[in-house]
Amino acid sequence: MTTPATPTDMITALVRLREALQAARLPLDLPGVEEVRKNQHEMVDQIEDYVLPRLIQIDAPLLTVVGGSTGAGKSTLVNSLVGTRVTEPGVLRPTTRSPVLVHNPEDADWFDKERILPDLARTTGASGDPGALQLVSSDAVPPGLAILDAPDIDSVEERNRTLAAQLLAAADLWLFVTSAARYADQVPWDFLKAAAERSTAVAIVLDRTAPEAVAEVAGHLARMLITRGLRDSPLFTVEEGRLDEDGLLPAEAVAEIRGWLHSLAADSNARAAVVKQTLDGAIRSLSHHTYDIADAAAAQATMVARLRVDVDRAYDDALAKVDEASADGTLLRGEVLARWQEFVGTGELLRSLETRVGWLRDRIVAAVKGRPQQADKVTVAVESGLETLILEHAENAAERAEASWMSVQAGQHLLEDSGRDLGRASRDFRARAERAVRDWQQGVLEMVRTEGADKRSAARFLAFGFNGLAVALMVVVFASTAAIPTGAEVGVGTGTALIGQKLLEAVFGDQAVRRLAAQARKDLNSRVGELLDTERQRYVDVLDELEIDPDAAESLREVSRRIDDLRFAAQIAPTPAEESSLQNIAPDETPSERA
Amino acid sequence: MTALVEGAKRLVGKGSSDVTTRVAGLEQAVEAARGRLDDALVDDAAGVVDRAGARLRLSAEHTVVALAGATGSGKSSTFNAVTGLDLAAVGVKRPTTSWTMACTWGAEGSGDLLDWLGVPRRHQVSRNSMLDTPAGDDRDLQGLVLLDLPDHDSTEVSHHVEVDRLVKLTDVLVWVLDPQKYADAAIHDRYLRPLARHKDVMLVVLNHIDEVPADRRSSMVADLQRLLKADGLEGVPVFTTSARNGDGVDELKKELAARVAAKKAVRARLLADVKGVAQRMQEENGTAKPGDVARARKSELIDAFADAAGVPTVVHAVDQATRVRARQATGWPVTKWLSRFKPDPLKRLHLDLGPRGKELTAGARASVPEASQVQRARVDTVVRAVADDAAGDLTHPWAVAVRHASVSRLEDLNDALDRAVSSTDLGVSRTPMWWQVVRTLQWLLFVVAVAGGLWLGGLAVMGYLQMPEPETPDYLGFPVPTLMLLGGVLAGILVALLSRLFTVLGARRKARSADRRLRAAIGEVTEELVIEPIEAEIEAYRRVRDGLATALR
Repeated sequence: MTTPATPTDMITALVRLREALQAARLPLDLPGVEEVRKNQHEMVDQIEDYVLPRLIQIDAPLLTVVGGSTGAGKSTLVNSLVGTRVTEPGVLRPTTRSPVLVHNPEDADWFDKERILPDLARTTGASGDPGALQLVSSDAVPPGLAILDAPDIDSVEERNRTLAAQLLAAADLWLFVTSAARYADQVPWDFLKAAAERSTAVAIVLDRTAPEAVAEVAGHLARMLITRGLRDSPLFTVEEGRLDEDGLLPAEAVAEIRGWLHSLAADSNARAAVVKQTLDGAIRSLSHHTYDIADAAAAQATMVARLRVDVDRAYDDALAKVDEASADGTLLRGEVLARWQEFVGTGELLRSLETRVGWLRDRIVAAVKGRPQQADKVTVAVESGLETLILEHAENAAERAEASWMSVQAGQHLLEDSGRDLGRASRDFRARAERAVRDWQQGVLEMVRTEGADKRSAARFLAFGFNGLAVALMVVVFASTAAIPTGAEVGVGTGTALIGQKLLEAVFGDQAVRRLAAQARKDLNSRVGELLDTERQRYVDVLDELEIDPDAAESLREVSRRIDDLRFAAQIAPTPAEESSLQNIAPDETPSERA
Repeated sequence: MTALVEGAKRLVGKGSSDVTTRVAGLEQAVEAARGRLDDALVDDAAGVVDRAGARLRLSAEHTVVALAGATGSGKSSTFNAVTGLDLAAVGVKRPTTSWTMACTWGAEGSGDLLDWLGVPRRHQVSRNSMLDTPAGDDRDLQGLVLLDLPDHDSTEVSHHVEVDRLVKLTDVLVWVLDPQKYADAAIHDRYLRPLARHKDVMLVVLNHIDEVPADRRSSMVADLQRLLKADGLEGVPVFTTSARNGDGVDELKKELAARVAAKKAVRARLLADVKGVAQRMQEENGTAKPGDVARARKSELIDAFADAAGVPTVVHAVDQATRVRARQATGWPVTKWLSRFKPDPLKRLHLDLGPRGKELTAGARASVPEASQVQRARVDTVVRAVADDAAGDLTHPWAVAVRHASVSRLEDLNDALDRAVSSTDLGVSRTPMWWQVVRTLQWLLFVVAVAGGLWLGGLAVMGYLQMPEPETPDYLGFPVPTLMLLGGVLAGILVALLSRLFTVLGARRKARSADRRLRAAIGEVTEELVIEPIEAEIEAYRRVRDGLATALR
């Protein structure tokens, strides 16, 4: 077209575009995503079926696709143009069969599988398989031109509709067939609108029109074409007439179209202009629509990020709340407090601690009351308190995360499709929480044991044993942020924690106690964090399974910009400028029913 | 619904009350499902209820038949052929018809119906007004309201909107197809398949049959029937006509006359509507039996609430307070004043302030410690379990509704629990009889002891003053004053100790009874805060389920 380097660059860019389009995944059900997915698919198809092959072999014959509604007479028209019965028209709708491509014998090589429409198998006989392309060579078609009879665009047969759309996207020139009953239908006009938008070369055939209605209908149709941006498309009319015994229209009925096609085939400049118009339009529309896909991909990435934030917020809150509750003294009420008080005994202990640990007395009391059991009771109370706390916050977080996902449609569908009940904590969560709490208690015990290794001989140490000191340490942890006691009831909670603190300080020294308490709290926090992380992961997995690449949008935009740059570079280079390639082909033969 | 019943009574033919029942069932379901099931679906159902109600109130003597189809299929030609008048514009320009045209046979009472259909007066024609005496088959068509709809497939979107509106309102739908367009996705995907339920009130006309070679016609009809079968419309009568030549129009008229005469179309149409939407609702609603909240679960709930309300603290306080008070009442008078310094645990909790104290602090908070996070977490966990139990196998929307309902009133939890605890009569204000008896006895013994002491003192003073010692009586060899002093003291202490024993038992009993009463009060709170809202949802579910069952019966 222009400088020899440009097509190669453009081909590279388009290959990259195809890859980027295929890589952009749109799995979330955002509003309007269906449409975008369809476009994405069609764009990939168009690049493979048409744009790349056409760019690589710019001299290939002009592919004219005859498309239109079911029952508009496409097959009859193709047969009449070729002059023999190459494709089977039928009164039954919709006709499902392979699309038929008629070409001149000289051009046979162009239509093997590598060039256009690579995903359609080639056959030479008639076949009912819409996944195949029937090739017919005929001398009636001039060299440099091929005619493809596409299936209908609007019947109940969905395969026909998608195949027709695919074939039309692969055309250099559309020969769009409509009829007196059809010409105001919505579906064909949607196609024509798309054609106008990407300046595909289109010629309209008004078929099956009663002779007395031709003038009126054609006039109306021409007006519709003008208002819908197809002012430059030639309009041919074919009257509804008797078919001969082969099912062909009389030669004079299609002479106009045939003549126009032949002169188009004969004029290589005109042909190149048509190809260029359609190809440029296709590339322009591809790069244009890439932005839509990019926007959709970006919206997907944003939505995933939002859903992720929802989940994180729910679980981070849960973790923070557990952490807070495990340190502000709230755990030191109720059961735990009662057991702890039983454990430390009466206020007399406190008094004796003020001077020194009355170990002998305690030992006796321990012997009588069986203190180790008391320590165990505290441990059990701590365990069930912590467990209830963690469990409820996990449930709550799951519920909150679900609710915030349910508030958007995309999230709702994700939840439905995941097939898991994410709104609740996992089934085994209680068991895992139990184990985690017990592990933590074990950890605290270990901590005390290690710390006390060199103080084993200390008399005070012996009085309480590991268990007792571990319990005291837990109590200190639970009250670690409850700072200064205010109000009456704090007196019972944190006040008793003070006893634990003093006890520990007496054994280990105050610095060690602070360090141990901090360490134990950190340990608890990290265990709860782990627990909640596995819960959070259930949601994160759902998001990760989508495999949405946050950079997809940017790479699409980049490729699109590159294509635009190349297009502009090509436009600046001198080209035979023409407004309408079709109008220039055979001006004397263009019908003039324009209003 | 009364107007509906009246309207239904006017409907001739059996089973009209059946329609009313079904519509009423659907209405009940709609009301109860609002806000619980998918809004769009409920709106659809509400639309059906409205339309059915409106149609039942309107003329039962008329059957509304609409001619619908693609542009160019010949709706207007068919309309003209059936009416025998050149009313609807026929043309080659597409789309031709932009508004709905109506023709009525037997105009009496059809005015409101046409207003409801939204056909303006200038587009209405009455067949009787044009002909003095209805002749022949026109008499058979008495009661027919024939509508010529715009197309559904042209570039004019306003036409589609009109078609969509009227397709919902008419009693019988006649789809006019033609050889070119009979397989269009526009009609099959958008109208025929979704209306598969209405096949009893549908007819299909294959118009323009004259354009098809005679030998191909039967295969085309067979093909059309194949497509209709794929849409779920097997058995819908297919007429081949040529409105232009008048072929087949008589058969169509005969069929229309039969439908009008049977007067079943209104009912059939409404039934199909009701059943269709009820079916969809039932799919979302489910028919499962709601779960049961077991007694064990309820008591678990009460336990958790009681714990959060600080019931154990209060019960403990009752126990302690009873002991303190009993000690004050029954203790040995010499030492019992000491116990006055021990604070009354109930007073510390601001409970049991006596009747006057209650008045002063009515509605004020008790000082029972507020529920800790752990207790609150326990409450939430149990409430969740209760909601799960109650929801049982219900579908997701209902499970969500039940769950929401279960926590809807929990914000008031602390207040409600507090009210329950502070308004419960703990039974500590009543003092048992035996306390009085013991108190009197104690004083009596005290007096005896003091008297003995004074006596002995008097004797001692007299001895000190070397006064003649008066005769002191003795009992079993012990001087009576000594016996009085020692016996009084010993007996007082003994009685004090004994009554202490009874006090412990009594305090325990009181504590238990306070616990029972508190739990009963808290049971009411759980009913009010948790069980009632849940049951309201379950009741709504039952109403929807039963309503739908009635509608689908």
